[in-house]
Parts: sequence; C-alpha cells; structure tokens
Amino acid sequence: MPIAVYPGLALTGARVRDIVTNPQAQFDAQLALHERFRTPFVLSAMDLSTEAEAFGCAIHSTDGEVPSVTGRLVTNLEQAQKLAVPRPGDRRTAVYLETVRRLRQLPDKPLVIGNCLGPFSLTARLVGVSEAMEMTLTEPDLIHVLLEKSAAFLTAYVRAFKESGADGVFMAEPAAGLLSPRSMSQLSSAYIKQIGAAVADGHFTLILHNCAAKLLHLPAVLETGLKTFHFGAPMDIVAALGQVPADVVLCGNLDPTGVFVQLPPAEITARVTVLLASTAKHRNFVISSGCDIPPTAPLAGLDAFFEAMKSAPP
Amino acid sequence: MQDLKSLHDAILKGDAKTAKATTKAALAAGVEPLKLVQEYMTPAMAEVGRKFECNEYFVPELLLAARAMKAALELIRPLLTASGAQPTGRVAIGTVKGDLHDIGKNLVAAMLEGGGYEVIDLGVNVTPEQFIAAVKEKGVNIVAMSALLTTTMPSMKTTVDALQQAGVRQKVKVLVGGAPITQKYADEIGADGYSESAAGAVSSAKKAVGA
Repeated sequence: MPIAVYPGLALTGARVRDIVTNPQAQFDAQLALHERFRTPFVLSAMDLSTEAEAFGCAIHSTDGEVPSVTGRLVTNLEQAQKLAVPRPGDRRTAVYLETVRRLRQLPDKPLVIGNCLGPFSLTARLVGVSEAMEMTLTEPDLIHVLLEKSAAFLTAYVRAFKESGADGVFMAEPAAGLLSPRSMSQLSSAYIKQIGAAVADGHFTLILHNCAAKLLHLPAVLETGLKTFHFGAPMDIVAALGQVPADVVLCGNLDPTGVFVQLPPAEITARVTVLLASTAKHRNFVISSGCDIPPTAPLAGLDAFFEAMKSAPP
Repeated sequence: MQDLKSLHDAILKGDAKTAKATTKAALAAGVEPLKLVQEYMTPAMAEVGRKFECNEYFVPELLLAARAMKAALELIRPLLTASGAQPTGRVAIGTVKGDLHDIGKNLVAAMLEGGGYEVIDLGVNVTPEQFIAAVKEKGVNIVAMSALLTTTMPSMKTTVDALQQAGVRQKVKVLVGGAPITQKYADEIGADGYSESAAGAVSSAKKAVGA
C-alpha cells in the first residue's frame, strides 16, 4: 500500500501545483496510478501545509514542489488563545475533500483513503517547527492551547472526509517522532486518541502515519488506541510486529527516497523480497513505502514494487 | 571560586539563564574564556550529542542545550576574537535554494557550534551565490548544506559546481545532509562529507578538514 499520488504526474503531465489546487488534476493523477497498478485502494494526496494554511499560515509554493508553511502564525499565548479554528472546506482543504468525493465514484469501488496532518505536526506549523520543539519544554501551556484547536479542527476535517465518502484517513504526525516517548504521549497520542474516539464507528479507519517514529516510540503510539499504523524507515518494523497484538496492523516501511527514487528496479525488487520474507510470519503487516513517494520517483520503481508483490508468495 | 561544572550542567539541562550567569561570573573572576569553551562548553555539547545518539535526548532537549550554549558563547566570543584565538573552523550553513525546511540545519548548526566551530547561518532557500559570498567574504572553510526534498537536492550539486566555477572549491570542504541524502549521493556530487545525523556532523567536519 505505497503512499503514491504525485508520481501520477508522469502519466497525466500535470504539475504538483495543479494537484494541490485542483481536485480534478489530483483525481486524474491518482486514477492513472490506480489503473496502472490495479490497487485495491486510492488516496488523496499527502500535503502537510493544507491545514495550517486553513488556520491562516502563509505558504510557499512552486510548480514542482508540495507547498510548505513559511513564517510563524502564532508567537505568544495571547495569539494562540485568540486564534480562530477554521472549518473543513476552508481554503485548500476543499480540494482534498472534493478529490475524495470523486474517487468515491470510481466504478470498481476501491477503498478510498483521505490524508490529513496530525495535531502536534499541525501545532508545530502554527508556531514554527523548530520553535515548537523548544516550546514543548519552555511553553507547554501555549502548545496545549494550540493542540486543542488543532484537534478540534482535525476531528471535523476527518468527519468531513468520512462524509465525502472516505473509508479511512491517513493522519500524518511526523513532528511527533522527533519528541521523547513521554512528550509524544502527552502532546500527540492523547489528542489523537480523542480524535479517534470521536470518529470511530466500526467501519471507518484512522491510520496513524509517523515516518520519524522509532521502536522506542511504539508504546506511546499504541496509546492512541488506533488499530492501524504506518511507519517510516527509522522504525524496526520486524521488532515492532513482535510487540503489537495480532489485531493491530502495521504498514511500511521502504524508504520513499532511498528506495523508490534512488535505487534501480532490480534492487527495489530485492528490497521488497527481503522485507516480505522478514515479516512473513506476521499476518498483520502490510508492505508500503515509509512515507509519501515524491513526484521525482521514477515509475519504473513503482512498477518493480508491484511486480515484486505479484510474484511474492501469498 | 564558583564551581564551573555548573556551566557544563546548565548547558546539559538547557538552562540558558544559568549558563549565561555562570559564564559572566567566571569571566569576572578572571577565568580564561578559552578554558570555559574547551573544558566546560564543548564537553557539555559533546555529552548532549551522545545522549541524542543514545535516545536519551531528543530534538527539544538538543535545541534547548544549544540555546544555553549560545547564550554563554555570546559573552565569550568577543573576548576570543580580541585575543586572536581561532575557532576549530568557520562554517557557512544553509538549507539549499528552493527548500524552506530548517530544523535539521538548526540542529547541525548547534552541534557544530558546540564542537568549537564558528557558524555563519545563512538560513533557508540559500542560493549558490550566497554560499560563494560567504566563502569569499567571511573566510569560511566549510560549506554545510541541508535539503529535505528530492526536488531541492539538485541544488547541492549546483552549489558544488558554482563553488568550482567561482574558483573557491579548493578552499572549502563541502558537507551535506538531510532526509533524502545518502553517502552515495554525497559521493556522486563531489561532497567531502556526509552525516545522517546532527550529532555526527561534528565528526564529519573534523574528518573532512583532517582535524
């Protein structure tokens, strides 16, 4: 289940800027990949700036890059307390909701998965990521004010994805992977647990993606109460599978750049084979990229991944 | 005389106020500035780096320790300059053109400063021309580049080539790092050093300059 939308640009000729501003362009890129690889699922694109932009953050965007947040919207407690919480559909969040609505209409009925940011990663973008790191220790009250607002917005946004037809949502929380397990527990997992409880209905799946988390973070990650997790290259996925209950699904964790961008197809095939072999005894493992596969990833790499999957023993 | 170990401990704990106060008192008492750097501050940051590598410290703790060290260094640097003492090296660091991510760059800058290097932080979205200017105008002997995106990685090679064309490539060692960067990529673009972690940046710098 690799996280791949932007590589579809190679098939549609669109620019990254088109995908993040135009739901039809995003739909077309994902459909192109879905048709090429016959995936059982489709995704909206991963864009870590959308939610912060909805709050009012300035963003930097170019034709070829996913937008990134610039500057600091909030610098003190008073600003944090006065910050208005946006609504789903504000600014470019509308693009991703509409993309999911269109993906829902596909006749072969794949699983439809939306994408959003996690509460700590969103909070970090509101105050500046580097600044947020220090503030977790020096101004925790301010961080918690923003976490409450981030969680409130994300709960509504995830519900909006559900109402748009999504079967689940990837919630990306990479900034939390830079914290100690204790801080992750307090500043990320506790809020994700609230969001998860608010959107749970037995059918909809909230998938926590954390591409920076390591094995020592696993207990804090599990405190979210979620049942599906998606990890990046820093996670010892085999050891993690040995520590989670059989009803918890772990996904990952081939390096999106180190493998899908930089390795030739034959080596990608080898990496897939090795990972599947090392996790073979775990029925609760889904092989994936460790994070969003960038627009520069050659399609030949994804071709090799899916071919290797077809050849793998069941 | 006051216990100078409290300077070491203040940096380790990320206590900028105590680090600054202890340094001020020590200097007033006649302690040599270089002694404070070499026997208390640099070892403190080395310990911070070790704790980071061992997963005892994480990014927040490392950044706070760096802030405490900077607070102390601000008092010491003018005295070192006046006495003619030379830093271990002079580094121009920046995130390359097109890239606005700074946390990795900030961590590496902190560790290099703690390792006795003078660091000139050029910020983010740094053009090759800005790196070249730092080499020519600031006497930099190490250029350290960070990139977080595969789309901005090529700016590293562009900068290395620009340093060559400007006739200053031989005057500097080039260090690279960032999430998508690998040793293989560093070798391909002609960089002199690569580190996959902030804490490893100091030893990469030392190795590159042959220290």
